[in-house]
Amino acid sequence: MGWFSRKQTNEIARDRLKLILVQDRKLLSPSVLNQLKEDLLNVINKYIEVGTYEVSIDIRRESNKTVLEAIIPVRGIKKKF
Amino acid sequence: MGRAIVITSGKGGVGKTTITANVGASLAKLGKKVVVADMDIGLRNLDVVMGLENRVVYNIMDIVEGRCKISQALVREKHLSNLFLLPASQMHTKEDVDIEAINEIISIIKENFDYVLLDSPAGIENGFRSAAAPASEALIVVTPDVSSVRDADRVVGLLENSGIEGISLIVNRYDPDLVIKKKTLDKNDIVDVLGLDLIGVVPEDKEIIDSENRGEILSIIGKSIAVQSFDNIAKRIEGEEVPFMELPKGKKSILDFFRRK
Repeated sequence: MGWFSRKQTNEIARDRLKLILVQDRKLLSPSVLNQLKEDLLNVINKYIEVGTYEVSIDIRRESNKTVLEAIIPVRGIKKKF
Repeated sequence: MGRAIVITSGKGGVGKTTITANVGASLAKLGKKVVVADMDIGLRNLDVVMGLENRVVYNIMDIVEGRCKISQALVREKHLSNLFLLPASQMHTKEDVDIEAINEIISIIKENFDYVLLDSPAGIENGFRSAAAPASEALIVVTPDVSSVRDADRVVGLLENSGIEGISLIVNRYDPDLVIKKKTLDKNDIVDVLGLDLIGVVPEDKEIIDSENRGEILSIIGKSIAVQSFDNIAKRIEGEEVPFMELPKGKKSILDFFRRK
């Protein structure tokens, strides 16, 4: 890396901080999150047919609240309901 | 009914106690009745920063354990008749603190004063929790470095979960020279990352050290740039819209000589 393209240390600090906070703001470890996902799908599957592979689930802190976000594509409603 | 505000940071050494004393004094200068409460049980310091260590007779644990009335524990500041210190106990540890009892005491004080500023200890354990429990608002103090901002983010998460509304940010020990040289986190980046409302920027100011050495509160006896920012924070707490001042550059570099023309 040349002398002129060197980053200022305040930019390095800012970028490190952003990465650290993304990690810190994850409230559940990946394995617990996976467990939650499986349990959720088991419950939902009783009522609705859902695509298991395209599920994304995330829990994180936003500026003034903590949110659990689950995106679960629906394939169809179970016949018996 | 007064307002209880906790001053906290997570990380130690960022200036919580100095901010508590000076913002408390600035609020008192506006004519408000103020109590500044030292919640750092076992490691009390607010009395020393205010130069009141020789006047402390009783402390908050004496009230909890029934040895004195609240009014007997409050120590009046030397210059301002409407500013009082509620000292911490030096003999107890943070595990001795009964959060319910502290809540009760602070709520009684709130009935007779406009403000109670709670100076929190560092950390996120029992001491922090008992400082935050009586508060409905918080001032988060950070210095412009990665570890301080990271710890602040953690504390903000805990405060939000415990139902505190109105969390504002104070950037302390801000050095405009280092910002210009791009060697320190910019205040706008800190605000951006934490997602809090900025309520004050306190510049690095040697007068603060000088007045603390003498046991005086700078905001009462001084006129320097830091005093202006403490006064502005007090006005913003009071709901006044005060524009943020331009912090002056300190030392001139050799390059400024050439830049002048």
